[in-house]
Formats: sequence, C-alpha cells, structure tokens
Amino acid sequence: MLARHAESLFWAGRYLERAEGTARLLDVTYQGSLQVAGGEGRDAWAHVLDVLQARKEFDRRGRTLDEGAVCTFLVTDRSNPGSIVSGVATARENFRTVREHLSSEMWENVNGFHLDLQARNIAADLTGEPYALYDLVKVRCQTLGGVAAQSMPRDETYSFLRLGWMIERALITCRLLNVNYASLGHDDYDAMLLTLRSASALEAYRRSFQSSTNPTHIAAFLLQSRSFPRSVLFCLQRAEHSLENLAGPSTSRNRAQRILGRIRSQLEFTDIAEFVTGDVHATLDALEQSICDIADVVANQYFRVGSEYALQSQYVLPGEAMV
Amino acid sequence: MTHGFFDGYLTEDFFDEAFEADGAPRPHYRQLIERFTNLGEDDIRHRRQLGEDVFKARGITFTVYGEHEDIERTWPMDLFPRIIPASEWEVIERGLAQRVTALNRFLDDIYVGEQAAINDGIVPRWLITSSSGFEREAVNIPVPNGARCLVAGIDLVRDRDGIYRVLEDNIRNPSGISYVLENRAAMMKVLPAAFREHRVRPVDQYGRALLRALRNVAPPAAGDSPTVAVLTPGAYNSAYFEHAFLARQMGVELVEGRDLVVDDHVVYMRTTGGLQRVDVLYRRIDDAFLDPVVFRNDSTVGVPGLMAALRAGTISIANAAGNGVGDDKAVYAYVPELIKYYLGEEAIIPNATTYLLWDPDQRKHVLDRLDQLVVKPVAESGGYGIVIGPKASDEELAVVRHNILTDPRNYIAQEVVSLSRSPSFTDDGLAGRHIDLRPFVLTGDRVEVIPGGLTRVAMRAGSLVVNSSQGGGSKDTWVLAPIDQPIDVAVDGDDVPEAELV
Amino acid sequence: MRLDVRYRTTFLYNGLVRESHNELRACPASDDRQQLIAYRVSVSPSARALAFTDYWGTRVDAIGVREPHDVLEIVAEAAVETGRRRPIVASPTFEDLKDPAFVDLHSEYLAPTRHTEWGRSILTQAERLRELNGPDVVRTVLALHGLVGARLSYTPGSTTIGIGVEDVLAGGKGVCQDYAHLAVALCRSISIPARYVSGYLFTSNDATGEEVQDGAVARVQTHAWFEAAIPGFGWFPLDPTNRTEVAARHVKIGHGRDYDDVPPLRGLYSGTSVPHVDASVEIRRMDATRVPTTTVQPPTPRAVESRRRQEAQQQQQQQQ
Repeated sequence: MLARHAESLFWAGRYLERAEGTARLLDVTYQGSLQVAGGEGRDAWAHVLDVLQARKEFDRRGRTLDEGAVCTFLVTDRSNPGSIVSGVATARENFRTVREHLSSEMWENVNGFHLDLQARNIAADLTGEPYALYDLVKVRCQTLGGVAAQSMPRDETYSFLRLGWMIERALITCRLLNVNYASLGHDDYDAMLLTLRSASALEAYRRSFQSSTNPTHIAAFLLQSRSFPRSVLFCLQRAEHSLENLAGPSTSRNRAQRILGRIRSQLEFTDIAEFVTGDVHATLDALEQSICDIADVVANQYFRVGSEYALQSQYVLPGEAMV
Repeated sequence: MTHGFFDGYLTEDFFDEAFEADGAPRPHYRQLIERFTNLGEDDIRHRRQLGEDVFKARGITFTVYGEHEDIERTWPMDLFPRIIPASEWEVIERGLAQRVTALNRFLDDIYVGEQAAINDGIVPRWLITSSSGFEREAVNIPVPNGARCLVAGIDLVRDRDGIYRVLEDNIRNPSGISYVLENRAAMMKVLPAAFREHRVRPVDQYGRALLRALRNVAPPAAGDSPTVAVLTPGAYNSAYFEHAFLARQMGVELVEGRDLVVDDHVVYMRTTGGLQRVDVLYRRIDDAFLDPVVFRNDSTVGVPGLMAALRAGTISIANAAGNGVGDDKAVYAYVPELIKYYLGEEAIIPNATTYLLWDPDQRKHVLDRLDQLVVKPVAESGGYGIVIGPKASDEELAVVRHNILTDPRNYIAQEVVSLSRSPSFTDDGLAGRHIDLRPFVLTGDRVEVIPGGLTRVAMRAGSLVVNSSQGGGSKDTWVLAPIDQPIDVAVDGDDVPEAELV
Repeated sequence: MRLDVRYRTTFLYNGLVRESHNELRACPASDDRQQLIAYRVSVSPSARALAFTDYWGTRVDAIGVREPHDVLEIVAEAAVETGRRRPIVASPTFEDLKDPAFVDLHSEYLAPTRHTEWGRSILTQAERLRELNGPDVVRTVLALHGLVGARLSYTPGSTTIGIGVEDVLAGGKGVCQDYAHLAVALCRSISIPARYVSGYLFTSNDATGEEVQDGAVARVQTHAWFEAAIPGFGWFPLDPTNRTEVAARHVKIGHGRDYDDVPPLRGLYSGTSVPHVDASVEIRRMDATRVPTTTVQPPTPRAVESRRRQEAQQQQQQQQ
C-alpha cells in the first residue's frame, strides 16, 4: 500500500488509543478528586499531564495547573493536536484518505464519533458532570477496536492500524506506572486504585493479586501480564504479530522486527524483584524510549520510502552569480 | 398534452426530447410516458426521494463554488431519463469518433509532426502559438499510438430543429463519467421495470475500457502488465470523488504527487514494500501543475521530474500534455476544417455557428449584435465567464464589449443555440428544462464511444446554463440497442480485474 | 575561433538536500555562425543527465540528484568553433515588417512577455528612433541597440530577476540580461520581432567586454544579448551590454522570448536550506592565431568559412 496511507492508519491508531486513554485518566482522576482536596488534588492533575507527555505543552500556554485548565487542554483544545477532540478529528481525517481500504462500518463509526463530539457542548460537560462525555469516548473507541477486530481482514490496513494502537497503549501504560510509582511504595490503597483504574486494570488485577498494594505486584501486572490486554508486554506482543503480518512469509526478520523482538523479550524475562530494587524510573524511562525507537524504526522502514520533501526553486542568472 | 400525468406539459417553442410540437409523444418515449402516467404522483414522489437517498447514502456529491463559501451538494439526478434511439446514436457515434480522431491527428501533427496543418494554412500559426493551452514542453515528446485525447468529453447540444451540434470539445481533463455510472446505478434501483421494457445499452464497462486504453499507451518497455495509477490533486479537489471512483473501478492505485518520486528519470510510487515503478499515469491534474521543475514552480500537487521521465520514455501520461491547444475555443471553430484536412471527410456533427473576434468583419458583426449572441472566453471550462447576450445586463454587455476590443484573440462569439428541452421534475411540477449531452470517447487501440453520456439539465426555468457547479442537474441517458443486435456483452477476454460498480 | 568553455555552477547549501531536479542549458548551439565540436556534462554527486532539445532548439540536460548532499556541482565543458555572422545585404523597410507571412512566422517574438513588458517610456523612445532612422529597419535596430548601451550602466546587484523592463530603463542600471530584455522590448514595441539570447562571451571583463590578451584564460559569467528579425535576411544579433556586434568572441547557447525560455540553470531542491550559488565560466582560445576585430580574415580559415566569406564578398559587389 502507499506509504502515506500506511502512515495515516498508524497515526489514526495512535490517536484513537490516546483519546481513550485520556478519557480514562481524566475520568479516574475526577472520581478520585471527589474524595480528596487541596494539594494532593493538584498533583493528580499534574500526573495526568505527565502520563500523556503533555506537561511541557500545557506549561507553554502559561495557565494555572488546575482541573479546569487541564481538562480543557486535554479534551477540547484544538490547538493541542493530542486533545481528544483534535485526535478524533485527525483519526477521522486519516480514515477518510484511506477509505478505500476500510470497511464502511469502520468509516461510519469513526465519522459518527467525530460528529457526535462536534455536536456536543463539551464546555458544559467539563464544568458540570463529565462522566457521560468520558463514557462516550471510551465506548466509541472500544467499539472501533471491536469493529476493526470483527470486520477487517488481517491485511496491511489492519496491521498498521493495530501497530499504532498497540504502541500508543504500551507507551501510556509504561508512563502510567512511571509517574505513579513513587506513590505506590507506601501501602497506599488509594494510589493503587488510581493507578490500576487508570489502566482499566483493577478487576483483572484483583483476580491475580486481590487487594495487594505491593508495588512489585502492580509493576508485574502492568508490565508483564500475558493475559491482561493493557499490559506493556501484551501490547508489544500484539505489535510483534502485526510486524510479522507485514513482513510476510520471509524467514529472516527485518530491522523493526529485530528491535521490537529484543525489547519484548528483555521485558518478558526481566526479574521483577530485581526491577523494584533497582532504579525503577531509569528502567521505565529506558523502556519508554525503546518503544519510541520502535515507532521511529517502523516509520523509516515503511513510511519514509524515497524521502519526500517540499521543494524550493533555484536558478542562475547570466552575468551575476546570485540567486 | 393529453397524457394524464403529462397534462399541461408544454413544449413551447423548443425542440422537446419527449414530445412532438403537436403534443404527441415521440415513438421512443411512448412506453416510458405510459409508465409514468400509470405510476401516479405519489409513487413518483416516492421514487424521486429514493433516488435522492441513494446518492446521499453513497456520499455522491459535487462542489458548488460560491462567493463566500464552497458548498457540497448531493448529486442531483432527475427521474425522467433521456432516451436516444439507436438510429440517432449511430450517427452521433460516427460523428464523435470522427471528431476525436481528427483532434488526435491535429495534436500529434502540432507536437511531434511537421505542423502540416499550419504550413498548409488550415490554422494560423499565431493562433496555435498564442494559445494558453499550447505547451512548448510537450513538443517532440511522442505519445504511443498518437492517443493524446485518451479521454474526451465532447459537449453536444440540440437546436430548435433537433439537429445535434458540437458546443465545445473537452480534451484536457473532462470529468463527469462517474456521474454517468452512478446515475445508471441509481436509475436501475429506482425504475427497474422501465429497464425491462427498453433495451438500454450498458455503460458499466467503462472502467474496463479505460484501463485497456491506458495500458494501450504504456511505453513498450513496460511489458505485458503495465502498472497504471490515477494521479489526483487530492481530496480538496471538486472532482476527487471521480478520481477515487475510477481508481476503484479499474482496480489501480490512487496517488497524489507526494506519493510519487522520480529517480534516474523513472517514476515510482512510494509503498510500504519499497519503490514501485509506474508505467502509465492517468493524471487528473492540469498541465500547469504537473511538474514544478518545468511548469509552475509553486505547484505542490505535481511530480518534480515527471516531464524528464516522459522524455526518457519510461512513463506515459493520459491525457497527453498540451491538449489545451485543441480545446481552445478559438481552435474549436477550425475543427470541421481539420476533419476535412486530416480525414478527407465532411464533419458529421456540425459546430454551433461561431464567430472569430480577431477577424475585423466578424468582430464588427458581433459587436453590432452583442445582445443576441453568446460570448465565451477561449480557455475557460465549466461554463465560467460565459455571457449570454439576451440574458445579460447592460453592464455585463459593456464589460464584454471592452474585453473583445482589448483582447480579441481570447474570445469567441456564437449564435445562441436554442437548446432542446426534456420533461423534468421541478419545484413547479413537471416542466421542460434545457439539456445538453456530454458523451465520453476513449482512444485505445481504437476510438470507442461510450453509449450515452452525461445529460446535464439547467434546472432554473429558462436558464441555459447546465453546469453542475452552477446549479445544474442531470439525467440518466439511455441509448437503445438496435432491434437486430444483442445488447453489448463484455469485450475480448483480457485479464482485466472485474470492476464492480461499487 | 576555436574556444573551449568550462561552465561550472556550485550550489552550497547550509543544510542537507536530499533531492534536486535541475535543467541545464549550457551547450553551445550549432548554426550559421557556430559549430559545436564537443560537449560534456559532469555532476557531483554523480547523476545521469538526460539530454534533449527543447522547443526553442536549445540543448537541455535534465539532471536529477537523489542522494543527500550539501554541495551540488554541475560542470559543462564544450568545444566550439565560432565565426562572424554573414553580412546583411537586405534593406527592408517598416512596410516589409507588416507582411502577413513574416508576422505569422515571428508572432512569438512580437508579443510582450514577463520580462519584456513595455510601457509608455519604452514605446516613446522606440518611436522616436524609428522617426529618426526609419524606414530602414536595420538602421533603426542599430539605433535601438545603441540607445540601450547609452542609457544603462553596467551595475551588478542593481536589479533582481523580477524587475520590469520599464523600471530598468527608469533606473538606468542593470546587467546583461536587463540590457538584452530592454533591447528586445524596444524592438517589439515597434513591431520588430526580437528574441533574447543566452551564451558566453570570450572577454577578460564582463563589464567592458574587452578582448582577452594572447594565451590568457577568460574568467567570466554567462552572458546575454539579443537578435532582431530582419525581413529578407534572418536574425541579426547584437550585444547591447558591450555595444558591439556579435562575432567570433560570442558563443551562443540558445534563444527564446526572454530569459525564462533559456535560463542557464534552473531547478528545484528539497528542504529549507538556502543555497549559496557560485557560478563561473572559463574560456580558453584553442586555435594558435589571434583574430583581430577587423575584417581581416583569419590566417587558417576552414574550407567552409572561406567559401562563405567569398560568397558574402561577391554579394556585396553585386549590390554596388
């Protein structure tokens, strides 16, 4: 398929996952804030920005860090390409350019999602009760994932879409753990709840670890669970499947496959006990960087084929060596 | 008018497609008129709504360019089709094939030949060299089989006497075929029974025919299975729907300039599997924007290095560069002479009577009768810039007069053709509306005329402007098969993908 | 004279350029005054040049570079034999300019173009000179040519590519393409077909056009002049920048309606870097003897040239 189309699908996947992740984080943080007041509350909102790697962008706008400003920035700010509204609009636009490759169900779903958001009075949602809005976003994103899984053949189109989706999900989960890890070490039940709920992981976690607030368990679950679909390992494995589909029947692995394979197996065979006694943040920073590197390698392999750049004109005049 | 539903329908002073002057239905419309009469108002209203819903659901729109904003409208198709009997079409078909053949010969003569038509005084040299459509960059670049007008849309009108005339030639980027196909698909859903009663020649083989024609112009080195792609300026172009539609119909890739790269004078598509060579480009981009190295250097939709690749013979494009000199409205006036010159035949379909404004006598004649004539700029399309004398205000006529006096080379004048009318469903009920016809002609290994074409309707009462971008409508066009012939079946068995009407 | 020309253009970018497409028009033409002997183009980074002849008869090399580079160097090397133009033996009048066949043949060179759009001042000057020198077209053309040289002073950097020719006249300054465009505009304004010529001048000084001393190498820029169409004769070349006739020291590359039709080098490159352009022409005289600027024939003429000169001399005698 055209490199440009593959790139559109990849980024559509990333933006949709980010929209869902943002909605979930804001929802959980909002619920948490109902029972907490003062300085702790402010930290929670700052953490949301950090998980989404949006802190610098937010600070550049020079607004006070409070619930209203953060929510507006992350949900409805059109000048923020990572906001929910912008992200869904971009995903829809990207889907439009590759419409030939998508089922009409996929198109109608993302188009409907975008139009619903446009029609909604989001400012009112945010100042009033935002549940309905966050639910809408989560459900629509999950529906899209479901429609994709049910209606799309496992071809290049599906693989690039899922690749973007999984890479973004892995990144968000990794950062979630990184940002919240400091608060997890003190037998803090609320911190555990917040973290796991932010990854929609609470119920699944309880089945394995009950009410344990042991950071080792939390880290193990979010990083290495083979069954929980939002764990970093699970996402990297799915990303690997997508790369396999793309590489086709060849027996040798391409560069993206080799790098992803290495990172996935490193994570898979990490000893969690060692992990928690070491420099957790450095390790998680490195993991996050590796995932970003994978995205870069994928881009170089599949999207930046025969580089394409805007062209300027140059000419030479007789009598003068000047442009 | 005595036919129930058609009670009160007036042909007035115009040639009506469906009714004779005395009100009797023309033979080839009798069955259809009967059917409509039997359907009744409610049923008809229901079917009209159904038609609209079909287009809306499929997202078939077009853009109307306005002063303040561009509006996307659902494609308007009138329920009452236009029917052309076999005997009539046979003449039109021959006339169109003749005309396109002559145009191809003319363009080949100008660009790679001896310029014989100029040297023998058939057309003046300055007319060619001063035409904005004359592309010096295309000179000496041959086109396989001389198929320069691979796709041509020749606009026909019918005058008060029912005679078909060519109103203008469109051989650069003629559009509209997608609407022809969509109209047919919609009509088959909305009036299926009518199709059973008429032997309507199909049009859905277009995608296959177009692909065949495109493969036919591939460079010899491309081999048996040339790679074809459709080059579009992108989704913001008003005809984007058609570009995507045709790419789908042919089963080929739809690309934008940025998807292509020229390396060592060969054109490639940037794909996830690496660079893939392109042999034929169906380019729906104007010459001026095609290659910023050679044409407008601010074009962001073109392909840098494409013209060099064309010269190197590694790729072919359709339609060829430089066709604008052939559909320049000033050159249009000479086409009957060109037909005689290249083919030794009289033009089967005549032109509309045209006056050339650089000739002092003709110019005086025109200026004396400005309010009775139609004045057109030579290089515009889509109906823009046309002033219809009888409908124009004094101010508009003054502007036209000034334009003619300062820049006579760039305007022609024509007698107003009293366009034929067809019964159409309007806001005021069933009434006659002026129509024209744009048949499509393909030049592959032979010249092929698609049965029918796009019938455009001027929806405002009394209006002669049929272009969709200015509020026109359309009708499905039925060419009836001759009694003794079977309706066309699929052509010779190429291994061309079965294109479905999506 | 036999000349070796080496035209080098170097683009220095302040960043990395990944893709560039260029068209080079540097090859000497072969016509009734010149004969191309050899021509070669080399590019660094290496790229293949596609050669073709454009509409105006100029040899073009299309050069596409697709490896990352921060320097692009294009070198054109040519060997060419040049001579004088044949003498003009016709004396057409302005009436002859109106002949429909003549007008039709030269229609492309009569209309104003982007760089030759004349206005009041130019038209006034041209009409004045026609008054004084008409109805003789050749005399008028020479007068127009002289006017350009008289009105403009050679000042590099005083004009830019987009300047209108009326502004050139008003400003009184320019470089060779401005001189050429002005001369063309003056001619066209009074219906004398004229065309812009791109080429090289074997001189030691771009500004003065003076001759090169024996054995020395000329280091100059590319040059521009013009040609006027004379009924019954053909194209009459003149160099307004140096106020001279066009003769053996002039090497023609090609002609067109104006600079846009025959730029020495134009192209596109990717990215946002700004190029610094360095272009230079080196010309060496390769035949042993020096040709003076008088009508004395060169000591070792080629057979063809000799015969042509004899014929020309015969013509002049018949005219007398």
